[in-house]
Amino acid sequence: MAGNLRTVVSFEVGRTLSKPRFWIVTLLIPVMIGAVFGLSAWSSASTASSADQQASARFPFEYQDASGIIVPSIASAAGGVAQSDAAQGLADVQAGKVDAFIQYPANPSTETVTIAAKDIGLFGNGRYDAVAAALLTASAKQGISDPTLAAIASGDVTTQTTAYDGAQESRGFAAAIPPLLYLVLFYLVLVLLYQQMLAATLEEKENRVTEMILTTITARSLVAGKIISLFVVGIVQMLVFATPIAVAYAFFRDQLSLPALDLSTLVFDPGKMIIGALVLVGGFALFTGSLVAVGALMPSVKDAGPISAVFMVAMFVPLYTLTMIISDPGAPIIGIFTFFPWTAPVTVLARNALSSLDLLSAVIVIVELYLVAAVVLWLAVRFFQYGAVEYGRKLDPRVILRSMRSRRTTAA
Amino acid sequence: MSSVAEPVVEVEHFRMAFGAKTVIEDLGFEIGRGETFGFLGSNGSGKTTTIRALLGITEPTAGRLWIDGRPFRPQASGRLGYLPEERGLYRKESVVDTMVYFGRLKGMTASAARSWSLAYLERVGIPELARTRLDKLSGGQQQKVQLGVTVMNEPELLILDEPTKGFDPVNRRLLMGIVEEQRRAGATVMMVTHQMEEVERLCDRILLLKDGVARAYGSVAEVQEAFGGTTIRFRHDGTLPSPATIPGLEGVRLIADRDGEAEIAPPPGTDPAAVLAALVGAGVRVSAFAPVRRSLDSIFVEIYGEHAGEGE
Repeated sequence: MAGNLRTVVSFEVGRTLSKPRFWIVTLLIPVMIGAVFGLSAWSSASTASSADQQASARFPFEYQDASGIIVPSIASAAGGVAQSDAAQGLADVQAGKVDAFIQYPANPSTETVTIAAKDIGLFGNGRYDAVAAALLTASAKQGISDPTLAAIASGDVTTQTTAYDGAQESRGFAAAIPPLLYLVLFYLVLVLLYQQMLAATLEEKENRVTEMILTTITARSLVAGKIISLFVVGIVQMLVFATPIAVAYAFFRDQLSLPALDLSTLVFDPGKMIIGALVLVGGFALFTGSLVAVGALMPSVKDAGPISAVFMVAMFVPLYTLTMIISDPGAPIIGIFTFFPWTAPVTVLARNALSSLDLLSAVIVIVELYLVAAVVLWLAVRFFQYGAVEYGRKLDPRVILRSMRSRRTTAA
Repeated sequence: MSSVAEPVVEVEHFRMAFGAKTVIEDLGFEIGRGETFGFLGSNGSGKTTTIRALLGITEPTAGRLWIDGRPFRPQASGRLGYLPEERGLYRKESVVDTMVYFGRLKGMTASAARSWSLAYLERVGIPELARTRLDKLSGGQQQKVQLGVTVMNEPELLILDEPTKGFDPVNRRLLMGIVEEQRRAGATVMMVTHQMEEVERLCDRILLLKDGVARAYGSVAEVQEAFGGTTIRFRHDGTLPSPATIPGLEGVRLIADRDGEAEIAPPPGTDPAAVLAALVGAGVRVSAFAPVRRSLDSIFVEIYGEHAGEGE
């Protein structure tokens, strides 16, 4: 039994890893992640620089100040000239004499500053708001004689929070990041292996290999071998993702402008890490079993697609409640997602990382996940066995279960 | 029930029902070690269902189906070569990888399976295709690989479900040659086929299944005897009167009469000379006359009708 299980695992793993397509897809992921991060960093830097440029832009404008806050010398330095007649200010803009006319109300903290300006494009028009606001802030700071108060007024304040869990200092994100990696792993593995899980037993049916194979190995060993091989392939994919990232971080951090993370600040809470690992494995087993069972009932991957999509939806829906998991973990929907088997892995992995999961709930979910996964895997094997010779036909699980019951009755 | 000295396959009181429909009813037979057994029947008569239940692919509703004294379990049972009616291979894999995989599942080491596979491919004339993906092979080449997978690891029991179905004449000859080889090497062969000449040539014993019930079971000679044993073929001029109206030929059945060629089935123990005398006495001008053993083909047609084998 163990020998044939090993044979199935080595065959399945070998043929997956020997395909160029596997390596192309697997290597594309870190490349794409790198590209997205790079674009995002470039975009943030570019946006910040653009905002700064807009705020310090110099162009001819007129202004009317009902508040008395604007300091004329500052306005003049920015290209501004006072204008007491609002109609004339607007006329000057329309005639192209100045680029903008800014009207500061009597109380700019409660009333709106209005701007009439020459259109220079959707993004270029942003400079008028930026200059109007910058002029007001600079003038306001001028009115505060104490430099400390002036700095505080401009929001130049640094804070440091130390939270306590009982008498123990809480480590915040440093403690959340390691268990959150389980969630990332869960998503990556399932998204990448989803198709393979679904097709695990379909290939035998589609190629009419089932009968020959089932005379050399039991359905249980075959399905187990395929699931183990999926797990092995998943680990290989994880390593492939991690390797370029680790190499880039270790040797090219400066060239790539990667932030210098202090990994020593990360906190590996053993309780959270164990709960996360157990939920990850249980969730993987549950989703694998579910997708293999769907595949066993269907004649082709195409037919299995729509039904398997239900499981993918169940996997992604809890993501939409992530803010609620942080702000209101006691909400009924979070409770439902925590204990419903197919939404539990994502919800519980997130709650575990964000410290909103009590130990009892964690134990209940872990036991539930393993029990449901065992039942689903058992059903997957039965469906595969019963559907083994139903080439080209969809199977009705109710008929299979009825048939199993009637055989037990006959045997008794 | 016919019993054999050393049964490899034992089927007793086998019943199979799908819902309210019973497709096999109280079937029983045995196959002895080293025997070649023909498992015959028209399409839909229950042959494949019986084989699948025997091999544990489907569960029987009732009855005992044993191989080597116990229910078949992959790996726990002896060496088996099975060529199913619905057959295929891993189409995206190479020929040799697929053969090695099956060889290892059948208990061979990887190196032994590889050596055997390469030697087999050499023998069947496609050694250059060892590294080729199966879906790039022609239908006939795939059949050769399929056959190789079936006979890997020197099977003690070969179960062939319509082995020549879909095979071209070259592969059919190759297949039958390999079956002969396995027989000579002492393998037990259970064969489902519609090719009656193959059955007469190869099989020691046969079972004819109709609508899930055994209609005939025994050695080929026993079955021929049970269905009229010997028939008489003769050539005649003019119209042949019904044998039942000819004095001395009471109980003789007319099987065929076309273009002056007739075949009649006399009751067991009838002297052919007496039949000839009666025909001549009745004025029939006989120009050729020969007693022959009744063909399995004609027995098959008698049991299943002219349209047997034309679909489920």
